[in-house]
Amino acid sequence: MSTDFILTRDKRVGALKRLPVPALGRAYAALFGPFAVLLCALPFFASGYVVTLAVEVMIAGVFASGINLLTGYTGLVSLGQAMFLGFGGYGIAIGTALLGWPLWVSAPVTLVLVAVIAAAIGAICTRTRGVEFLLITLAFSQMFYGAAIKLRWTNGSDGMTGIPRPDLSLLGLNADNPTAFYYYVLSVAALALLMLWRIVTSPFGSVLVGIRENERRMTSMGYAVANYKIGSFALAAVTCAVAGILQSQYTYFVNPDAMSWQMSGEGVLMVIIGGANVILGPLVGAAVFVVVKQALSMITEEYNLFFGIFFMLVVAFFRGGVLGAISKLIGKRHERA
Amino acid sequence: MSALEIRNLRKAFGGLQIIGDLDLKVPSGQRHALIGPNGAGKTTLFNIITGWQPPTSGEILIHGVPVQQGRPDLVTRGGLSRSFQKNMLLESVTVLENLRVACQALDASRHSIFRSCWSFSDVVRRAHLAAEQMHLDTVLHRNVNELSYGQKRQLEVAIALCAEPKILLMDEPAAGTSPDERASLIKLINGLSTELTILLVEHDMDVVFAICDVITVLSYGKVLATGSKEEIQSNPQVIEAYLGQHHA
Repeated sequence: MSTDFILTRDKRVGALKRLPVPALGRAYAALFGPFAVLLCALPFFASGYVVTLAVEVMIAGVFASGINLLTGYTGLVSLGQAMFLGFGGYGIAIGTALLGWPLWVSAPVTLVLVAVIAAAIGAICTRTRGVEFLLITLAFSQMFYGAAIKLRWTNGSDGMTGIPRPDLSLLGLNADNPTAFYYYVLSVAALALLMLWRIVTSPFGSVLVGIRENERRMTSMGYAVANYKIGSFALAAVTCAVAGILQSQYTYFVNPDAMSWQMSGEGVLMVIIGGANVILGPLVGAAVFVVVKQALSMITEEYNLFFGIFFMLVVAFFRGGVLGAISKLIGKRHERA
Repeated sequence: MSALEIRNLRKAFGGLQIIGDLDLKVPSGQRHALIGPNGAGKTTLFNIITGWQPPTSGEILIHGVPVQQGRPDLVTRGGLSRSFQKNMLLESVTVLENLRVACQALDASRHSIFRSCWSFSDVVRRAHLAAEQMHLDTVLHRNVNELSYGQKRQLEVAIALCAEPKILLMDEPAAGTSPDERASLIKLINGLSTELTILLVEHDMDVVFAICDVITVLSYGKVLATGSKEEIQSNPQVIEAYLGQHHA
């Protein structure tokens, strides 16, 4: 095999992405195959607490994956993606709890509305770049956060309760049961990640990567770059809204905190910890984020301080995140072989 | 009809006039060089032709169609492509991916989100052809940031060619290359289709004379002279303004 295929010097992309397609597939299968089996079988051997934690990880993973499409693949770092998490939660709450629509109507309507609103917001935000983009997305997010606190018909800062979980009676399951809800979230998360994987490996996805690499060159090639950035913004928003729907069903509740800038910041942290521009990076980042935070909170009340130190260590020693480090290891093994 | 026609073009930044009342006609298939000292307005002219900067006044026609200012993507789709003075490449992806993305830009598949980008075999085949044409087929799977400078310059031209342009603008394609790389680049450019109109900005006069039939000399944003190599070499104004005694 030519060494052209397995060079590992590129720190930004990580060696896993540099492997030829069959080797890449084998590496992913070897890495995540057992992990996928473990996830499918988790409720059979794990405690209820662990299953609950896994639900939280998967929801956070979907949310962070939406951020990754925009930040990792398109190169647009946003601090406002939590507004779409909130839109998802409030959309499903208004549809089901307020208007009495069934979930199969409320969910698609919510996602379509989020896509339209995100395209409109994206058309404004993507006219900027870098720090300006970060700040304008933050400003939009804070604007909707403020509105959600003030709106009486959504109970202001108290939020909305009574959000139903899906009706799984056709499958002989009750979604209020933690195990059934776990499998529901696992299915939705897997579907969302599959969709994102298809998007980032498509021609559209390759244009997004090109925009991240060199926007001016992409324009010069003949791409209407602005449209692609708006498309990326809308798709990322819809993914975050899916996470918002799952989150509100998980807690039966949504309030303005779902839209807070801290939530957006945590999503970005998950992407960085797991590895940006790798499709499973955000899920890994979410797992590390949730588990480490939970573990630290059991040890000390000052867990945020220690989590900050942990985050700094990850950034300093695992450039490219956890998956970036694993990719480099695999690349080195291939090089030796 | 000229492939490229510039009429009464003016460009000023505030009170500073960069280009003044410039007229230029480049017939189809011509290899035309734009030369001039630094600050003559060559790159600004390229930016205006390709829609990156609006002119203060004047008109640019590509095969008789006015250039739509502010939309460089439409200029490329209209048949005019360019390579840049400084490398503008997708650095952390492979050479093949750079070329595939460039070929995809004019293909209907560019909006697709439900199929793998590698399943569009015609786009991939054209990327391979572009690589072969510019002698990059041995480094297809290398990341761009691992290429030599000369290979990067070749890739710049290859990407511009992926748009299957009728007019190719090249901004100092040989800048920073070694003598061997320069000779190779000249050979590659001279091997391009004779139907392709080329407008070249270059400081290296050996490269200009090796590639171009007609040369326009710019000085302070105005055309000083236009003519064949011999006419330019013997023009006293040009000798004084730019070439010096060596080429006289």
